[in-house]
Amino acid sequence: MRRFLSFIFVSLLSSCFIQSTTASADYHEQLVLRPLPLSALLASFNFRSNTTLSAFEAHNFRFFPRSLGQILQHAGTRELHLRFSLGRWDAESWGARPWDGAREGGTGVELWAWLEAETDDEADHKWLTLTNALSGLFCASLNFIDGTRTTRPVMSFQPEGDHPNSTVTNMHLLYGVLPHEVVCTENLTPFLKLLPCKGKAGIASLLDGHKLFDASWQSMAIDVRPVCPADGGECVLEIEQTIDMVLDIERSKRPRGNPIPRPLPGHELHCNSSKPYHAGDTCFPVDSIAHQDWSLSQLFGKTIKGTCPLTDPNTPPVCLQVPDSRAVSISEGAVEKKNGDRVSRCFDIPPEADFELALPRPEAPTSPPAQGESEDGIQLLIEEEVLVKPETPLLYAERSFTGHGQERGGVQTILRNPSPDTAVEFIYMESLPWFMRIYLHTMAARVEGQASHDNPSLIHEVYYRPAVDRARGTQLEVRMRVPPASTVFLTYDFEKSILRYTEYPPDANRGFDVAAAVITILAPGSGSESSESDGAGAGAGAGAGAGAGAGAGGGQQRRFAAAAYSLRTTSLLCSLPTPDFSMPYNVIIFTSTAIALCFGGMFNILVRRFVAADEGPKVGLGPALTKLGARLRPAFERLVRRKGRRGVDGVGGEKDL
Amino acid sequence: MPSLISRGASRIRRDPRILKLPPYLSLLCILVGVVWLFLLPKNEYSRRTYISENALLPGQVHTYFGGSDQNVFRAYKHEVNALVHQSNIEINDKLESILKGLGLKVGRQNFTYHSAGHVYSGENTYAILQAPRGDATEAIVLVAAWKNAKGELNRNGVALLLTLARYFKRWSLWSKDIIFLLTPDSIAGPQAWVDAYHDAHDSSRVDSLPLKSGALQGAVAIDYVREDRFESVHIVYDGINGQLPNLDLINSVVNIAGGQMGMGTGLQEMWRHDDKYPDRLRTMLRGMLKQGLGLASGPHSSFIPYHVDAVTLQPFGNGWQDEMAMGRVIEGTFRSLNNLLEHLHQSFFFYLLMHPHRFVSIGTYLPSAMLVAANFTIMAIALWLKSGQPGLTSTSGKAENKKSDDEKSDSKTSSQTVERDLFLPLGFVTGCQFLSVVPLYLFNNAPDGMLTLAFITFAALNTILPHLSSHLLTKYYTPTIQQYQLIKSFSLLLLGMFLSSLATLNFSLALLVGLLACPLTFMQPWPRSPVMRGICMLLLDAVAPTSVLVAGAVYWDVSLGTVLREAAFAWDVSGMYSPVVVWCVWWPAWLAGSVTVLGKPPPTPSSGPKRKGEKKAEGVEGKPVSK
Repeated sequence: MRRFLSFIFVSLLSSCFIQSTTASADYHEQLVLRPLPLSALLASFNFRSNTTLSAFEAHNFRFFPRSLGQILQHAGTRELHLRFSLGRWDAESWGARPWDGAREGGTGVELWAWLEAETDDEADHKWLTLTNALSGLFCASLNFIDGTRTTRPVMSFQPEGDHPNSTVTNMHLLYGVLPHEVVCTENLTPFLKLLPCKGKAGIASLLDGHKLFDASWQSMAIDVRPVCPADGGECVLEIEQTIDMVLDIERSKRPRGNPIPRPLPGHELHCNSSKPYHAGDTCFPVDSIAHQDWSLSQLFGKTIKGTCPLTDPNTPPVCLQVPDSRAVSISEGAVEKKNGDRVSRCFDIPPEADFELALPRPEAPTSPPAQGESEDGIQLLIEEEVLVKPETPLLYAERSFTGHGQERGGVQTILRNPSPDTAVEFIYMESLPWFMRIYLHTMAARVEGQASHDNPSLIHEVYYRPAVDRARGTQLEVRMRVPPASTVFLTYDFEKSILRYTEYPPDANRGFDVAAAVITILAPGSGSESSESDGAGAGAGAGAGAGAGAGAGGGQQRRFAAAAYSLRTTSLLCSLPTPDFSMPYNVIIFTSTAIALCFGGMFNILVRRFVAADEGPKVGLGPALTKLGARLRPAFERLVRRKGRRGVDGVGGEKDL
Repeated sequence: MPSLISRGASRIRRDPRILKLPPYLSLLCILVGVVWLFLLPKNEYSRRTYISENALLPGQVHTYFGGSDQNVFRAYKHEVNALVHQSNIEINDKLESILKGLGLKVGRQNFTYHSAGHVYSGENTYAILQAPRGDATEAIVLVAAWKNAKGELNRNGVALLLTLARYFKRWSLWSKDIIFLLTPDSIAGPQAWVDAYHDAHDSSRVDSLPLKSGALQGAVAIDYVREDRFESVHIVYDGINGQLPNLDLINSVVNIAGGQMGMGTGLQEMWRHDDKYPDRLRTMLRGMLKQGLGLASGPHSSFIPYHVDAVTLQPFGNGWQDEMAMGRVIEGTFRSLNNLLEHLHQSFFFYLLMHPHRFVSIGTYLPSAMLVAANFTIMAIALWLKSGQPGLTSTSGKAENKKSDDEKSDSKTSSQTVERDLFLPLGFVTGCQFLSVVPLYLFNNAPDGMLTLAFITFAALNTILPHLSSHLLTKYYTPTIQQYQLIKSFSLLLLGMFLSSLATLNFSLALLVGLLACPLTFMQPWPRSPVMRGICMLLLDAVAPTSVLVAGAVYWDVSLGTVLREAAFAWDVSGMYSPVVVWCVWWPAWLAGSVTVLGKPPPTPSSGPKRKGEKKAEGVEGKPVSK
């Protein structure tokens, strides 16, 4: 990965130098394609533009997007980092991360920014403005980054830009993360709109929601920082937009109209014909090298539509990292330039024509495999010739829950240092929701295979800011070290609190997402001594050892040398005790019934007078009948009287008879 | 008004007829409980199953597994066949290389269990297919054990799992990780894996897992031994200790197999089911028996205690469905599980299935076991009251002229509560409970070779024990009739309490033990009738835990050693608690009941007028016994 980065830097820097002399274009874009093992392909899109600080202050936007610039000015943001990520980077097979992990975030949305403010309250207020404005700009739920999800990291993040000393003292770092946010097309569209060519020309024309979000891993990043040239020129505000994606070549090559992975016809399967049972209807598949042939139009569904006319013509827009021995076919008019390091080459594209790039299927291994050689050996041999071997990352990290049940649990992070001779020192940061109450005393680090449970030499420093129920989350930063060629288990236990009925989100039985842990590996040399001498005024805020530094202000920041590498673990799903949500209604109905019954009885007793049976009026059929009779009698008599009168009037004589 | 009520109540309470009621009431409870159970399969009392979780959408997707995947399946089948006589490690090496070739992350885990002097060890292999766009937050598991629960080689199951792993890898729609688990056996391997996944394992016996994913949302196990074509799918769903998976999972499989694939489904080894009363009853009773035993019935069983819903699918019958059809059923089920937004929680966790489309839920069936358990409690309370009265004579003698001097007799009986001598009864019942640790320990820790011998010795001792203890009791304490009543009362009180709380956890076990223990309700000393004593004792010996165990072994034609070994294995590995219920709940009650029957209380001094009333009570209580 360092090779990858150095390559990018070299190409970018060289263009920078040319540009600084010509001072014509302040916009660069580049796409780097790198095939990875297991038929994957890393595509790194990088877009970078500058504006001078004076032009920025004067609202004079040229390449810098106005919409974002105005938000930054309004919210007093000096440096901004925004990440939208999906999926996970498979370090075991893909090796080190692109950009040394500096351009990626944990699953969901991650935002951190340095705001200029006099007080913490003012910083919080500006942060609220910033998140709400960005939420509207990027169609993401960034406005849900409230107090419970905001932390002020002390050790993990360092400003990337060059800030004048006058502002540094007033800068507040705030960090918020939304692990449950699903990144999708509606976030890509505003992202592309920030580009000068809006995804209509240049490499951005390849970007398409269908492909991007079908990737095995993808990360969109926006970084805004002030950069002051070393030679004392005018400082510029640099915006860098990055999209990294790992495409599954087989999946991406499926035509858009028929994306279903139906079984291939039998004759198209790649079979291992050396198996004794190999036959027309029996096929032992060899898939891993099957999909090393691809072209841009197959993968992205379209070709690159020329170059963006605004881009710096000296930066080659497309680079490919495959061994020089592999043949690559490109469309007419494009020029291939080998970089001299035998594993990368770049292409110059004609400004108007479409650009297509195709890698044909690699030839079968030249020498037939020896009899004794294992299948894996052959596989490796083939991959050697076809791919650039991925670099080993500095550290592997894997985090998972331990325990079961709904009362308490534990978190275990397995940190493996693959290097045989160098120890890795890093800062491990967790920002946990408040309903995960961690027991700090249970935090322990141990080296695999060693009996001693608490190895004091592993954890150097702990910064812990306990959670406040419903107000803020737990912040935990641990500076620790993993000895060479060893695996360290970092574990701690926590208790799950019971939420109020209304605090559960929809789909409460799914569980609650816990944000990824951020691991920032410190550059070798910035060891404990130097860093401690660096952060002279900070030692007070950050408690050393297992003791927790309360750090009410949290504003003091430790100064470390720039991070050498950073990585995120996967996020976790914490299941809390969840009520049956029909239960409250049952309870309401039940208590209402009970109260109605009690009330009825009480009311009866209160308003009625109880008397003995012989004292009260007689009840029964007899009295009722007499009463009825008494009521009927007058009517009857009236009837009789009337009848009698009529008889007298009319045929009285008859009646008389 | 309250005074009116209390006066009425006290009048009822003092009615001597009330005290004669409990034995009839107990009998009624038992009868109603049993009749209730037999009514359940009728249409009026059971319900049709339905999908409660709308997100599942079973059978709503096209399944595409087939075509050239069958070529791949045949190749994997060849690979599996080539491994048949190899060791667990060699098998896992090969499986690992195949799974790695598919681009999955593979982990392995060793486990060793000791039970009844045997060592059960092996190595699990599992592969994680990471959700293409997901984060490792949730996972579903597909299990194929190398050997199924009967010890047959699961050739097709393993080959199908490998083929499905390759097929699932092609889809990008998975929202959850899929874990493919290959275990050497059906019980110990999955148990070790699930325990380790939840960090509930004993790390000296079971290794931790090198790779993990998110929270498990469901599991499906394939048990596909047969080579020819099949007709239907048999769904095995019993978990350890009678725990069951969410009914939605079973319904989904039934729905997918029946609605989409045109396959039948079967439950509880009912290979033919005409959906009439006898077949429904048989299915239900088989299910209850399995639930009551609480044994693991397949690789899925170990998942259920961790609230991971799981089933095992087995093909059965002769038809035209092939491996690919089975694969499509699993594909459909996985697509459904993949749709889940939340953990399965909507449908029932407590139910009795009597047909793939009919069930009864806990609200309907629970009264049955509760009534049986209540009969013990009723009798216990009645005996407590009885033991406190100075002899039934005072009330029953005056029963005729009760109406005339109501007030008088009231004051008499209420003042004449005799003191209960609690020490001996409490001591005896406590002793019985403590003694029950002996068989529990013995049968769970004896080595295999000793098990049968130990059991025969224990059974013989068990026959003598009541006589011996009764003899000792009579010799040293000469307990009175009141003390025998209290012994019985306490022992029944405990039994009723245990069984009614057990009924909410494992209904079938509570009902089974309750029915087998119900003669205990009607036992009493026969001081002057050796014939009745003998008959009662014979009846009790017939329903003793030991005799029931032997009878069960003979009926199902399994050797006693096997039964005991299985029980010990389930206790040690799966954590089955049925032995606790048998030895620490049922057996002490049985012992106390037997001692009561054999008791020879001395005739009380005021026996003259008392005899008449007592005779009456005896007659009442004796009736069900002679039945």
